[in-house]
Amino acid sequence: MVHTPAHGTLLFRRLAAASLLVFLSPAADASGQSAREILDRVDQLLRGRSSRGHVEMEITTEHWSRTLAMDVWSLGTDHSLVRVTAPAREEGMATLKAGREVWNYLPRVDRTIKVPPSLMMGSWMGSHFTNDDLVKESRVIDDYEFEIPFEGIRDGEEVWEFLLTPKPEAPVVWGHVEEQVRKRDLMPTWVRYFDEDGTLVRTLRFSDFRVMGGRLVPATMTVIPADKPAESTVLRYHELAFDIDVDEGFFSLRNLRGGRE
Amino acid sequence: MSDDPVWRRIAWRNLGRHRGRTLITASALAFGYLAAVLMVGLMDGMNAELIENGTGLMVGQVQVHAADYLPERNMHRTIGGYEGIDLAGFLRRLESDPDIVAAAPRLYGGGLVSSGDQTLGGVLFGVDVRREGEVTTLLSTLREGRAPRAGAFEVAMGSEMARQLDVKVGDQVVLVAAAADGSMGNDLFTLAGVFSTGTPALDASHVLVPLPDLQYLLAMDPGRVHEVALTTTRPWDTPVIAASVERSLSAFGPPLRVRPWTELRPELAESVELMGSMNWVIIVIVFAMAIFGVANTMIIGTFERRKEFAVVRALGTTPLGVGKTVVYEGIFLGVLALAAGAVVTGPVLVWWHNRPPDLSGIVGGFAWSGSMWRPILRVEYSWDTPIVAAVALFVTSVLAAVYPAWKATRVPPADALAD
Repeated sequence: MVHTPAHGTLLFRRLAAASLLVFLSPAADASGQSAREILDRVDQLLRGRSSRGHVEMEITTEHWSRTLAMDVWSLGTDHSLVRVTAPAREEGMATLKAGREVWNYLPRVDRTIKVPPSLMMGSWMGSHFTNDDLVKESRVIDDYEFEIPFEGIRDGEEVWEFLLTPKPEAPVVWGHVEEQVRKRDLMPTWVRYFDEDGTLVRTLRFSDFRVMGGRLVPATMTVIPADKPAESTVLRYHELAFDIDVDEGFFSLRNLRGGRE
Repeated sequence: MSDDPVWRRIAWRNLGRHRGRTLITASALAFGYLAAVLMVGLMDGMNAELIENGTGLMVGQVQVHAADYLPERNMHRTIGGYEGIDLAGFLRRLESDPDIVAAAPRLYGGGLVSSGDQTLGGVLFGVDVRREGEVTTLLSTLREGRAPRAGAFEVAMGSEMARQLDVKVGDQVVLVAAAADGSMGNDLFTLAGVFSTGTPALDASHVLVPLPDLQYLLAMDPGRVHEVALTTTRPWDTPVIAASVERSLSAFGPPLRVRPWTELRPELAESVELMGSMNWVIIVIVFAMAIFGVANTMIIGTFERRKEFAVVRALGTTPLGVGKTVVYEGIFLGVLALAAGAVVTGPVLVWWHNRPPDLSGIVGGFAWSGSMWRPILRVEYSWDTPIVAAVALFVTSVLAAVYPAWKATRVPPADALAD
């Protein structure tokens, strides 16, 4: 939809996974560790089989700014549920992702709406994320070739900087992607997305690294569109728990409606 | 030169000597005139059809926007900025311009239209239903139901969209749209009418929402609109009128842009211009064909009179005098043909203009430059075409006489008489 609320946790995981899958590249092998080892380790760090969280999303645009609070649940890569808890006007609005399908629930009119594929590139909840950001599964290793154009110290921190170039047939909208990862704890610090002309389109920053749900995670993510540097969307995790007790039945249309029949 | 009346009289008599031939030649020219005027009229009719369908349906002849609204169509760039305007006062002010016939405010939103399991993306087109009818024909394309009423949360949508959503008049649809305050506007609306414009893009994507209801959905004040479409008294003069309206609004406050349809639909304006240049091609081809026919007749006519020319030359006529006779013949022939052509063409034009043959049963319409063309052979009147064609006819008949005239001046009296 124009603003499909999608899953914060899923988004988080997708981005995190994107940053980690790069370790599969031969260049990462050069660092002395097997790519798969690194991947497994970080996957364990940042991904649970399932998760539950409470997220605040602060959107700043040229014309308005607002903050949404939402509860998010996820299971694997296929299932997620987001329910808005504030502000009051949008309380109860919810989005369900099940496989490739995305549904929204609108409490005001008590209707569920399936988001058509044509609107997957639309803005998510008026933010600087697209629906596609949230729904697309982590296919980074299938879609990109990897290089490490920089390995060394930036701002006193040992980092890798990766260059991700889409494979010719990959269904990717970006011309190339750059990403920085700290060696110390394998935390991503930023990702830059470029279009086919090599122009920066948006920057994603990770910050506020702390332990939540027993894992070290970047608790804050900020998206800045390159053409409007004054605008941003900031996603902050207030609560995060991993490997919670949910099954696929939880991600149902009934639950999307908040249990209302 | 004092001999001219004599040459003219001789020329006129010569035409009368072979009445049948003169009649046929003049008929050919007259028919050429009819063909040229009619074909150009048909082209003009096709142009008018393209312009009317391309602008009359939705665009309107002139549009007023905030200076920074196009081309991004950012929903926040309303006329008068964030504050909006005193809409009623603004419309009154526009309509007080003697060149402006009517003004219709519009608001655009992008959103989802949903019913049951079906959801589509659509353009939410907010209009003042009464005023819109004075500026465009969109509302006259309602095939089922009626126009939506303001304040009742009713909408009309295109037939293709209704088909895809599987809804009929009276059903409820959900509209969801990103509102101006960043929230997600959503409400239930009743489908009051279904329109079918024949333009697939419109019928599949547009939802007509009464202006106040769309403003509510998008969390915008009643004074906020993106566009005011205008109908003018002189559609062909829209660039001039647009410029004068823009000047008159320069003291309004936030900068506004006023654009004529030629700027809003440049591809359509270019098509129209291209067709205009085709008119010249038609005229040239028709009369180029005529010129050989006429010249042929006149060459035969002069050849037959070789002996005659020789006699008048022998009696002391100058070669110029002989030439003049032939040229005058061409001129008289042209005048005759023109008179006949005008007498025939006038009624045919009027009849065709009023009763254009409708070929809808034989061929379908097609879209060209984003405008729908119905297979109706309209003929439009114009002032310049009959005059241009008349001049062309006249020039043709004179030019066709020049070569025979030159040949006539070269007739050697002694040789010709000796034959």
